[in-house]
Amino acid sequence: MPHIVMESIIKSYGDVRVLDGCSLSVEKGQVMTLLGPSGCGKTTLLRTLAGFVEPDAGRVLVGGIDITALPPNRRSVGYVFQNYALFPHLTVAENVAYGLKVRRRPGPEIKDRVARALDIVSLGPLGDRYPAQLSGGQQQRVAIARVLVLEPDVLLLDEPFNALDAKLRLSMQTELRKLIERLGITSIFVTHDQSEAMMLSDQVAVMRAGTFEQVAPPLAIYDRPANPFVATFIGRANILPVGLRAGAVVDFPAVVAERPDGPADLIVRPENLTLAAGRIDPGTGQSGPPGTVLFAIAQGPTIEYEVDAGFPEPLRVTVNRRSGEVPLAAGSPVSIGVIDPAACRVIERGTP
Amino acid sequence: MTAAAISPGRRPGRLVRRMLHGGGFWPALPAVLFLIVFLVLPMLTLLAFGFVTIDRGRIVGDSFTLQPLWAALNDTLVWRLTWRSFYVAVISTVMTLLLAYPVAYLYSQTKGIWRTLMLVAVISPLLTSALVRAYAWLVILGGRRGIVNHTLIQLGVIDEPLRILNTDYAVIIGMTQIHLPFMILPLLAVLAERDRRLEEASFNLGASRAETFFKVVVPMSVPAIFAGLALVFAISYTNFIVPQLLGGGNYATLAVQVYEQTVVVLDWTRGAVLAAILLSSSFAFVFLIVWVGSRINRWSEARA
Repeated sequence: MPHIVMESIIKSYGDVRVLDGCSLSVEKGQVMTLLGPSGCGKTTLLRTLAGFVEPDAGRVLVGGIDITALPPNRRSVGYVFQNYALFPHLTVAENVAYGLKVRRRPGPEIKDRVARALDIVSLGPLGDRYPAQLSGGQQQRVAIARVLVLEPDVLLLDEPFNALDAKLRLSMQTELRKLIERLGITSIFVTHDQSEAMMLSDQVAVMRAGTFEQVAPPLAIYDRPANPFVATFIGRANILPVGLRAGAVVDFPAVVAERPDGPADLIVRPENLTLAAGRIDPGTGQSGPPGTVLFAIAQGPTIEYEVDAGFPEPLRVTVNRRSGEVPLAAGSPVSIGVIDPAACRVIERGTP
Repeated sequence: MTAAAISPGRRPGRLVRRMLHGGGFWPALPAVLFLIVFLVLPMLTLLAFGFVTIDRGRIVGDSFTLQPLWAALNDTLVWRLTWRSFYVAVISTVMTLLLAYPVAYLYSQTKGIWRTLMLVAVISPLLTSALVRAYAWLVILGGRRGIVNHTLIQLGVIDEPLRILNTDYAVIIGMTQIHLPFMILPLLAVLAERDRRLEEASFNLGASRAETFFKVVVPMSVPAIFAGLALVFAISYTNFIVPQLLGGGNYATLAVQVYEQTVVVLDWTRGAVLAAILLSSSFAFVFLIVWVGSRINRWSEARA
């Protein structure tokens, strides 16, 4: 029995359908990430779970109990806001104690639990500060402690790392992942940052225009994207219009496809392509489509090529760089090959 | 050695530059001049009248005296009037807050055309003069034929007309209504622009609507509450139109007394002394209100 279940949630604002039949289930203790471009409805879905948004249709269940009609203050669902929404007129300790106070817990118990919650996020000594006196990372930890002190069934986080600078973000992501694992709390993140999604989650739900495009573990999404949207949103991908003949791709015969002959789209990651000067594919020994280097950038460990191989868009190829290696000059003739044919995806032509 | 030689040469140049820059003062110059000529100078002149001897409209030269002030401070009538000014202003100010807060909160919860209509409704009383509104209250609260008494008698609730006019009640009712916009407007600005996520956070932590209102919404609006309290207290404490019209002939506050001494009795010295007492006490009370407000609002000064 999944811990969180959302059944065909529908929500419209005026004529705009923000959520168009979203169904999702999350197992107990799992971390799920809702990933998508801004305006795809991911925050609305999270707010539906917290009760801030009332869905037009659909049900929300936590632990098998229907909470769709429950007001937000009666749900055991912790919500960490994008900008933390700490109460500026209360100290850190008072912020963390807020939920316990409205629950009328006895004073000594509040004191004890607040101290423990602040210790978990290593903010013990800062209890008397006001939120404005804390750094972004510390504020985020207060927001998390304020929610965790109530021991909620579910933890929801709305782009929690958005307001942090890149360096702090990385360490907070690791810390939070460890904390969630230690507490074993079912969590749902919202983010538009694909590397964050890869790093934090057991499952990623890629959203677009109010629906799920694909729900799968992060590596599965990366390796087997359901469609070009997912492929380009998570990592980078070449979407190539190709022909199929006898169950294989015409331009890359090593890539087999269980589809009828005719036109199709091939999804192949830049790092799954390789190239060599001349006309012979060095990877498989088979000759790939010939091409011409349009543009090359060496980025330390890798070289990024843009190659004209006769497709409407230039082909992007990422190859590992050996020390001292200089990229091929623009205009060089090259041969392109696929490293792992099994990691390519062949889908119906024109799938968005 | 070199630094010491250079720095005295630099200083005048920097001073001149700073004066030319003026720290943003220059744009305010017209308003400041206007206030000095038409507010500060006349006020000082008026107050000065309290400390000189005036004989048939002429200031007797070199006659500085504290005697009128001393006499006023020893006059129990003055203390009684000050006390009345004070408690009427306090009650009326608290009443405006209690009435204004729900209106401002409602405004912050409405959208679109209703919001615009509410704003118009709040502001429109300011388009008529306070005098007219005070007269309107005369009609409403007045004797047997006033709207309130007439209705109550018709309904059989009372037999004899209530004596509201010419009492503290009439003055407080009138003042509260007339000064309501000055309390609503600062509250409205702050409540409408407030961060709703704080309330969502409060709900999420288990607080009810009422708890959220008193623990989050009200504390966050403390600056506006005290701005409104200071403003409305100052204008209530010094208002003389409402006490005079709604309080009737035998009713006086300190402000009414200032008016009567200056305009009716033509004892400018006593009028000026009473005005000085009114002004300085008003200033003290407003200062106190602002100070209390900033004490409660200490968190807003907390910065890393």
